[in-house]
Amino acid sequence: MNKEIFDMGRIDIAWCPGCGNYAILKTLKQALAELEILPANLVVVSGIGQAAKAPHYFKTNVFNGLHGRALGPAVAIKAANPSLVVIAESGDGDMYGEGGNHFLHTIRRNPDITNIVHNNMVYGLTKGQASPTSPIGFKTPVQVNGVFLEPFNPLAVAIALDASFVARAFAGDIEQTKEIIKKAITHKGYALVDIFQPCVTYNKLNTNQWFKDNTYYLDDSHDPHNRIEAFKKAIETYKLPLGIFYVNEDKKTFEENVGELTKSNKPLFEYELDMKKLSDSIERFKSVSK
Amino acid sequence: MSGNEAMAEAAVLAGLDAYFGYPITPQNEVTAYMSQRMAEEGRVFIQCESELAAINMVFGASATGKRAMTSSSSPGISLMQEGISYMAGAQLPAVVVNVMRGGPGLGNIAPSQSDYFQATKGGGHGDYRNIALGPATLQELVDCMPLAFDLADQYRMTVMLLIDGLTGQMMEPVILEKKSGRKLPPKDWALTGAENRGQRIVRSLLLGNGALENLNYQLQKKYRHIEKNEVICEQYKVDDADIILVAYGIAARISRAAVDMARENGIKAGLIRPVTLWPFPSEVINKAAENFRIFLTFELSCGQMVEDVRLAVAAKSPVLFYGRPAGGIPTVEDVFEQIRQLTFKEKVEK
Repeated sequence: MNKEIFDMGRIDIAWCPGCGNYAILKTLKQALAELEILPANLVVVSGIGQAAKAPHYFKTNVFNGLHGRALGPAVAIKAANPSLVVIAESGDGDMYGEGGNHFLHTIRRNPDITNIVHNNMVYGLTKGQASPTSPIGFKTPVQVNGVFLEPFNPLAVAIALDASFVARAFAGDIEQTKEIIKKAITHKGYALVDIFQPCVTYNKLNTNQWFKDNTYYLDDSHDPHNRIEAFKKAIETYKLPLGIFYVNEDKKTFEENVGELTKSNKPLFEYELDMKKLSDSIERFKSVSK
Repeated sequence: MSGNEAMAEAAVLAGLDAYFGYPITPQNEVTAYMSQRMAEEGRVFIQCESELAAINMVFGASATGKRAMTSSSSPGISLMQEGISYMAGAQLPAVVVNVMRGGPGLGNIAPSQSDYFQATKGGGHGDYRNIALGPATLQELVDCMPLAFDLADQYRMTVMLLIDGLTGQMMEPVILEKKSGRKLPPKDWALTGAENRGQRIVRSLLLGNGALENLNYQLQKKYRHIEKNEVICEQYKVDDADIILVAYGIAARISRAAVDMARENGIKAGLIRPVTLWPFPSEVINKAAENFRIFLTFELSCGQMVEDVRLAVAAKSPVLFYGRPAGGIPTVEDVFEQIRQLTFKEKVEK
């Protein structure tokens, strides 16, 4: 399948030239095309921010909700129609800051969705304030003396919560990122893919070159089923590892844990109306109200 | 200085101790300005992780008796409503600036006045009010800042400043003065350390028999007092007017020019401009409605303040509405045309 099936044709795109979002959008479309996932069977859910605009440029089912709240609707969409492929896609500010609480509890819930986070370590939409992942010392027009808060470490948090799939990629490496995204989508359960991307306008520190110089790929010696080792890799700071840190295939998904309805993968709207059950219920309520 | 920056400086001069904010367009200049100025003054500035954090930090700082504020734009203010309701219950002072943008939902970032209901009718849950100020010029905006802090401290409640994205970006010369004419009560409720005194408690949970009812009567008494004593409103060429425009903020600036244009064209138009949106200048409007005139409310919304104008006019005169939602800004000529058509219709009907 060709990725063009997801392309919108000629549209205005709000991103700056050279933005890492272009590469992530293209890579995600490519990954979906290679997995033969049809636009009709896909929902991309986002919150607010430059990254959250990505679904606007995607020819498929799109849900663009509240700031920080992409994960709630994504969980609900998957529960209501488990046959859909659901991707929650947003930026570091949206997912880890405003939506930090939802991030934690969605991992605990383990829905079978893919969570793609464009991580450029800065707020792009509001023009350059520090984000939850901005490094210590990072100066902005608001953080005039540099950031002094400990940067949020999404991978370490996710592994600590025993998330079922935890990976990090770099937008500048389309091939490897595509492979990671494909594994995340085919993984059963919650899958986090944190993607490093340069913000060419507001982050002059973490540039394309900086990411190239300061990252490396985990090699075959890394066992993604070893949670302790995965955590150690997640808290490395000298050079930042890329790849699949941690996988736990043994966890039941949210859909498997909740009622019969979502177990069968059948969307709610396809269920036949059971007239007997319905009239029994009505009779029961009638007798209560008497 | 833009309106956003002038307002921020006015807040600093008014004795703001702690500012808490989260980035949102079109008010990012406030946060950027505060980050530098509050540091210079050795006061507190925090860029929060969300608007929920910001309003709860205001809640906490205010509980210690310090002057605290936050600023945001419409969607962010919606998120803060829970905290604002709790502060109303706990009777704590706070200043909240809403640089309004188009809604509902995420809407757009264009100038709007569609948060009038939210600001003046409560916004959060429960029987409470906020004082709401709607300045029309940058001078009035910077003058409203010390007033807002004083009103908040005097009445132990949230004061909201409503401006729009256009006013926030606008540049006009202003004179910044520290003005505090009011005699403010001591903050004998503040959490200042309990040495040598009994417990003080900040809360809005009142489960005791009749306790919540009593609090509500106390709040209502306070609100009636404010309605009687704190109304601010400008009347422009109202006395002999056949048509009275009612508008606030940026819409009032357009209306004022439209009134002048109408007068040049021989139409007797006037303007009533509420500065306090709550308490609303109901008496002024009711009095103006005694002699039959046409009231035309003009807002950058689908019509919110017009409901308060109708209540104030109490069916003594007709009340009409003109406005545009979601960032559409009518010109002076557009408003004049509305006035002209009404006058024409009235003549025909007579």
